[in-house]
Amino acid sequence: MEKMIVVDYEKCIGCRTCETVCSLTHEGRVNPAEARITVAKYERTGINVPMLCQKCEDPVCLAVCPMRAITFDPLLGTKIDYARCIGCKLCILACPIGGVSLHPTKGKVIMCDLCQGDPQCVRLCPQRALEYLDVSLLSSRKRRDSVRKLLRLVEEVGV
Amino acid sequence: MSGYAGQILLVDLTRSFLETIPTQKYVEQYLGGRGIAVRLLYDLVPGNSDPLDPSNVLVFMTGPLTGTLAPSSGRVDVVTKSPETGLLGGANAGGFWGPELKYAGYDGIVILGKAARPVYLDLFNDQVDIKDAEPLWGKGVFETVSTLRRNDQGVQVACIGPAGENLVNLAGIAFSMRNYASRGGLGAVMGAKNLKAIAVRGTKGLDIAEPDRLPSLIEQMSARIVNMPSYQEYPQWHYKLFGILEADAKSFFGNYEDTAWPERFEAYERAEQFVKQAEFRPESCFACPLRCWAYLDVQGVGGGSVAACQGTLTSLANFPKVKDLNKVWKAYLLCQDLGLDTSSTSAVIAYAMDLRARGLLTASDTGGLDVAYGNADALVELVGRIAWREGLGDILAKGVKKASESLGADAQGQAVYSKGGLELWLMEIRPFKGTALACAVTDSGSQNRATYGLCEFYYRSMEKQAETVARNLVGTEEAAIPTKYEHKPKLVAAYENSHILADALGVCSIPFMPVGLELWAQAYSASTGIKAPPKDLMTAAERIRTLERLFNVREGLSRKDDTIAERMFQEPLKGGPWKGEVIDRERLEQMKGEYYSLRGWDREGRPTQETLQRLGLQ
Repeated sequence: MEKMIVVDYEKCIGCRTCETVCSLTHEGRVNPAEARITVAKYERTGINVPMLCQKCEDPVCLAVCPMRAITFDPLLGTKIDYARCIGCKLCILACPIGGVSLHPTKGKVIMCDLCQGDPQCVRLCPQRALEYLDVSLLSSRKRRDSVRKLLRLVEEVGV
Repeated sequence: MSGYAGQILLVDLTRSFLETIPTQKYVEQYLGGRGIAVRLLYDLVPGNSDPLDPSNVLVFMTGPLTGTLAPSSGRVDVVTKSPETGLLGGANAGGFWGPELKYAGYDGIVILGKAARPVYLDLFNDQVDIKDAEPLWGKGVFETVSTLRRNDQGVQVACIGPAGENLVNLAGIAFSMRNYASRGGLGAVMGAKNLKAIAVRGTKGLDIAEPDRLPSLIEQMSARIVNMPSYQEYPQWHYKLFGILEADAKSFFGNYEDTAWPERFEAYERAEQFVKQAEFRPESCFACPLRCWAYLDVQGVGGGSVAACQGTLTSLANFPKVKDLNKVWKAYLLCQDLGLDTSSTSAVIAYAMDLRARGLLTASDTGGLDVAYGNADALVELVGRIAWREGLGDILAKGVKKASESLGADAQGQAVYSKGGLELWLMEIRPFKGTALACAVTDSGSQNRATYGLCEFYYRSMEKQAETVARNLVGTEEAAIPTKYEHKPKLVAAYENSHILADALGVCSIPFMPVGLELWAQAYSASTGIKAPPKDLMTAAERIRTLERLFNVREGLSRKDDTIAERMFQEPLKGGPWKGEVIDRERLEQMKGEYYSLRGWDREGRPTQETLQRLGLQ
């Protein structure tokens, strides 16, 4: 995997545009229950976290699928072959982060497919809380962020 | 149907009877939301009935764009006969409840009758149950929502707090833990029906007529919102609004007797510190980029979400002249939890404080509570007493106008309200002639349901922008000048139409004008497949406006009722840039006449036969 959708939950305003765009793109209709991305909302604390398939490099969903309906594409990661999926939900049970769900009417599971490399949730997120990033870039950005935090901490405690 | 869910749920609580009616027959004439809601209300509520009687009807109605990805499409309109004004009551709320209702398969819910015991409605797609709400009765909004979400966080809840249960005229209807259909006592009607809540979960979704076309349209619409000059500043409005009101010279303090509270700058400073020190997370409603809301967590007081532009914090601080923002925040959270409209609650508390300052309320009237201006503890205490109708709170719970009627002639003279007795909103109105006209002619009594964001509001701080808007709408910049009476009827009618269309389509009135009618019309056709050019939408707005008028005409209202509180005519502003301004009675009458003829109504403010025929309302 070269690229992934990176969520910055501190930027997310909880508007759920990503859910609607996702269902429209994949299903031609608006229905958050048919979306591959879902905002976990916590109204009592004001926290909103968009959640979606993380495209694991060693996916458990793939490992547990009895029908070999889930395959791994080097560029786009896990992928579902709908001719094979029987809706047994083992992948839903196995996924450690709730990245797979059951389509409400079709009897098949759904997960993010990165819109074949052009994720529409990223395109329409009004806050740019979602980004489609090179994984290598992600690590270097993370490193710099944590250095910045470290420096601030040093400043605060006056070491 | 695309865009629409296709059916409206009717719930008769007296008979525990459910049925659905097709949305289709109302679509062409009334679009949805506020339009269909008013049509249903007009048809179902008998004239001159008591708002708290089982014969009153409570309508929740989404629009065709609600729940689509059109920006700000989280809206639901709620109408009923208002117990506070006795007239058409209505309010519009954002959040996530409206979209969820459509995903469950309904465009709206109509509540008829009255349950024998407290109940709540539980909707999961086609499964609709009327359930026992005894254990929830008496509980606040936060606990009610949490309880109904125990098994599924995706459930959206419309509910009342104790204020609605206790039939307080200032009670609103909460949508989950944040948004409100707040004005006009809609919550009291829900309480009178013994209906605690409507919990909704939907997984059916919506068909879209042109799924390939919609996303690029949305991109254009969002870009217009994000390019609004004020967009970047929105999250700061939570404290900047104090200064913005000051800059536009529309703040007032107390009960409309004071435009220059000497301690106000200290109060603004404190408000800024308060927000900056809180944990602060900007939030939006469904599919909206605007971030009007923020979650604020204040150590030692508590956390909750608050809208910047509705002026909830400014009203709760400025009217009672309270500088302790921690206490203001506490009062706000109490209003949210007990189910009270913050605008009206602030106003009625300030009214009591004014009466106390004038010696018109005695210690025995107040139950020993010192309701002096600036007393932060009294503010917090009164919020609770109003919701629970204890002591003085029982009188104030009726609203300023009705409370004043039981407090003697002098107290009555001090009462300020809009048509029908609804408290005004966060701003002074004497210099703002368009707003005064809107307050007088609006049929819900609510100026922000009529003309939210009227360009005269921000004339002093953003003159050029206000003039541009005025020129585009009525052809002359002069219409933007607050103190001018000329051109105001046309300006007010244009804003009303725009607001009605936003409320009918199921989107928010704030981004409605910046996005422009042409794009909304395109989003409507891409979602529903119905071609409706802007001109047809405008005709629908005219029709809805006239139907609102017909409701009040049936209640016996005429020209003389289109007015505002007496003090607005008689008591000139004592200071500030608008010193000396009052509303001139004659000029208001002139504006009314002009407004009526623009609407096709007669001299008495009644729609003419010709107008009814033109709009298909005969």
